[in-house]
Formats: sequence, C-alpha cells, structure tokens
Amino acid sequence: MKRFNWLGVVTIVVLLLVNMPFLIIVPSSFTSAGYLAFPPDGFSWQWYARILERPEFVDSFLFSLQLAVVTAVLATLIGTLAAFALSKYQFRGSRAVNALLLSPLTVPTLIIGIAALMFFTRVGLAGTFTGLLLAHILISVPYVVRLVLTGLSMFDYTLEKAGYMLGATPVRVFWDITLPLIRPAIVSGLIFSFLTSFDNVTVSLFLIAPGTTTLPMAIFSYMQETLDPLVASISTVVILLSLVFIVLLEKVYGLERLFGLNTQSH
Amino acid sequence: MSRRLSILLLLAPALIVLLGVFIIPMLLMLLLSLQNDAGEFSLANYLLLVQDPYYLELLGRTIRVSFWTVLCTLVLGYPVAMFMAQASGRVRGIVAMLILAPHLISVVIRNFGWVVILGEKGWINVVLLRLGVIEEPLRLLYNELGVVIGLTDAYIAYMVLAIATSLYAIDPSLYKAASILGASRMRTFFDVTLPLSLPGIVAGTTLVFSLSMSAFVTPALMGGSAVKVIPVIAYEQIMSTLNWPLGAALAFVLLGSSVLLVGLFTRLVETKRYKEVFTA
Repeated sequence: MKRFNWLGVVTIVVLLLVNMPFLIIVPSSFTSAGYLAFPPDGFSWQWYARILERPEFVDSFLFSLQLAVVTAVLATLIGTLAAFALSKYQFRGSRAVNALLLSPLTVPTLIIGIAALMFFTRVGLAGTFTGLLLAHILISVPYVVRLVLTGLSMFDYTLEKAGYMLGATPVRVFWDITLPLIRPAIVSGLIFSFLTSFDNVTVSLFLIAPGTTTLPMAIFSYMQETLDPLVASISTVVILLSLVFIVLLEKVYGLERLFGLNTQSH
Repeated sequence: MSRRLSILLLLAPALIVLLGVFIIPMLLMLLLSLQNDAGEFSLANYLLLVQDPYYLELLGRTIRVSFWTVLCTLVLGYPVAMFMAQASGRVRGIVAMLILAPHLISVVIRNFGWVVILGEKGWINVVLLRLGVIEEPLRLLYNELGVVIGLTDAYIAYMVLAIATSLYAIDPSLYKAASILGASRMRTFFDVTLPLSLPGIVAGTTLVFSLSMSAFVTPALMGGSAVKVIPVIAYEQIMSTLNWPLGAALAFVLLGSSVLLVGLFTRLVETKRYKEVFTA
C-alpha cells in the first residue's frame, strides 16, 4: 500500500513543475495592474483588449495560422504519398529512401534553418513565403511519413484488391477503402504538422522576411525587450488554441505513442 | 501506369523538398564553412574555433549546460517513469497527458512562464523574502542555472518516455522472482530494474543531450547575454555579424561535437553492459 508513495510524490512534484509556467501565465494575464505580478492584482480583461492594439501580434498570429495550415496540408499530402510508395511497393533501395526521408530529424532545426538561409539566398528564396513554407514542410514531413507508415503497416492491401475486383475505380478504392482505414494517422499528421509549424522559432528565425513575423517570434522579440501582462494574455490565447489541438491529437492517436515520434529541438 | 513510375511519382514531392531544403543546403553550408574571407578553400574557420579560448569556453559551456540538463531530467524523470510503469492504465494515461501535453505548447511561452516565476520579483523570490528565508533575491535567471531549469522543463518528457518504454518491457515475474529469493526492494531496484532500464536511460540521455546542445530559444531567453552558447553565437554570427563561413563552421562544430559525445557515451555504456552480461 505504502510501497509507491514516494514515487507518487515525486511524480506529482514533477507534473506540477512542468505545468507551472501555465499555472502562472494564465492568472497573470487577468491582472488589472500595469505590471506582471504574482499573485495578480485585481481582475480585468484589459490585457486582452490591448492585444488588439498591437498590430504585430494580431498580424503575426494570422500569419502563423496561415503558414501552419498550408504547411500542415502540404506536408501531410507529401508525406502520405511517400509513405504509400514505401509501404505498398517493395523496391530496391526502399529502406535507404525511408532513412533518407527521416534524416532531417537527426539534424537540429537551428542548423536546418542556417543551411536553408545560405542556399535560399543563392536561389532567391530567402525572405519569401515560399522559402519559409518549404522549410516548415521539410521539418514536418518526416513525422507524417512515420505516422502514416505506422498506420499503413496494419493495412491489408487485399482489401484494395477486393475493391478493384468488385469494379471500383482507383479513386473510389482510395476514397472508400484505403482512406477511412488510415484516417487517424493522416489526421494526426495534419495536427502534428500544424503544431510543429505554429510553434517553430528556430527555422523561422533565419527565413522570415523583413517586416513580417510569426507569432512565437513576435513573442520572443517582445520578451527580450519588456515583460508585461501583454505577453501573458497573448500566451494564454496560444495555450488555449494549442490545448484544443493537443486534446484532438490525444483522442485521435494518443500522446504517448506520438511522443515516440517527436525528437525535434527548438 | 507502370509500377516504377508510380513509385517515382509518389516519392517525387518528398524527395524534391528533401533535396532542395535539406541535402543541397547542408552541402552548401559545408562548402561555405571551408572558405576564408577571400572565398578560397581553407580550414581557417575550424582552426579558429578549436584554437581561440573564447570559442573553447563557449563549447565547454554548451556541453556543461547540456550535461546538467541530462542529469536533472534523469534524476527527476526516472521516478516519474517508474510511477508510470507501475500505475494502472487510467492513471498512466493522466500522467502521460500531464507530462507530454506541455511539450507541444510553444517553448517561448513556457520560458516566459519560468522567467516570471524565477525573476527577481518572481514569486519564488517574493515568497522566500516574505518568509524571511533570504535577505536578498536569489539569482535564478540569466545564468547557467536558469538555462538548465528551462531546458530540463523543455526536455524532461523525452527522458521520461524513453525510460518508461524500457520499464514497460520488463517482465513482472522478474520482480516476483527477486522478492521470492529474498531481495530487498533496494537490491531489486539496483540488480533488476536499473540494469534492464539501461537502454531507456541511454536513449533518453542521448536524445536530451543532443537536443540541449542545439537549443537556441531557452538559452537566449533564460540565459540572456550572460550565458551565450554555441547556437546563440551561431545566430549572431549569421544574422548580426554576417560572417556566414564562421557561422557555418559553428553549426558543424555543434553537430560534430554532439554526435561525437553521444557516440562516446553510447560506446562506454555498451561496453560496460556487455562486460556485465559476459561475466555474470
């Protein structure tokens, strides 16, 4: 009965510590004071209203959202196609291709950002949306490949054959048989790519165009100058948004399984 | 459509992205790091990095911070992994959610929370001052301690999960056998649990170490100008000083030293493990 008590105590302490930033940020954002204080003084929504007065946060939020959505859709599409090639066809070198597709995971995103900047400057992609998007896609595709490959590893291709034998077109077979069976993997790929892109700083840092910025970078720069409850209110918005996606991810795929895939740095 | 063509078409988009955003850029960066000011081939950048005491200290600090992060995540993470391994499915799920979910929320935001907690007027200092435990506010931020706290928070989930995975795999009858043979709980831990979880410790350690070595956001926000690590200097060389060849060389030194240290560590542990297996 008493056997695991101390493990439980340590676990609770660690869980508290890991979630402490959020436990502090959310209440701080409702302060009526003009400075960050814990416990917060008074209660007001003023710092949420102030977000709207700061175009850099509103604009960068919309920009990040747009970037993350396009990244998620394209990375999932590209990654899913590649996973299909690897799973459906046994070809010479397929293992090497698999390793190659996952290789960006082994290099820190900071270094990927630096390398991309150096190359993009030569080909005129530095500081363009396309360049930034391509880099975000690159760091998301390996996850999609792994997620969808896992999904496909349990997929029975005789089901597709049965579909063809019953006279279905390839599109119909894909839409009615293949897709529904691997949907959880694809949806997880979408959500995970979205979060990867939405939270990324180290790649965007090097590839962003002058004058535009992503939300995490806007918060990053703002924090280096001032610390006020505005950061807390904007952070709370991001925390809530991310939580929605995290709960979805947990429901669709399971966080514990997912984390076996997540090895990127920031 | 021929089989070969299908494969090629399915793989093409991914390979194009890989080639254009990863492979070619990495090769170009390597070439750039091997150039001097005049654009000629030279090892000057690397020689500078290994000879200048400033850069050696920088490398030392980066390694030191990463080492402490590994130690902290290991000490704090192991008990959590053990708890998860022994917990029922439901409790395990809740713990997993509470430890993993924060890691999918922007690290900038988590660091911001820590800055508020650990700052001079942060609540740790406020509470300790009010209780009269300390006279002066503690310096918990903008030093190596601050960076280690931030990185530990950022990467502990990887350590927990790596160790938990290896603990899940241990056959429970081994514990029963140990207890039947009269082993104390301590003895069981050191002779059964710990050795069998070694692969998880190695996996977690290498992962957390390499992630810490290349972390940029946390050292920049929680270390400030006092704790410059290689990623921060690489960023400055590229974006402020515009010395791209040196920046590229820094990136490769970072990558190389991280790979080298991880390799050495794995070798050390593996040899030790095999020795145990063969002498036992």
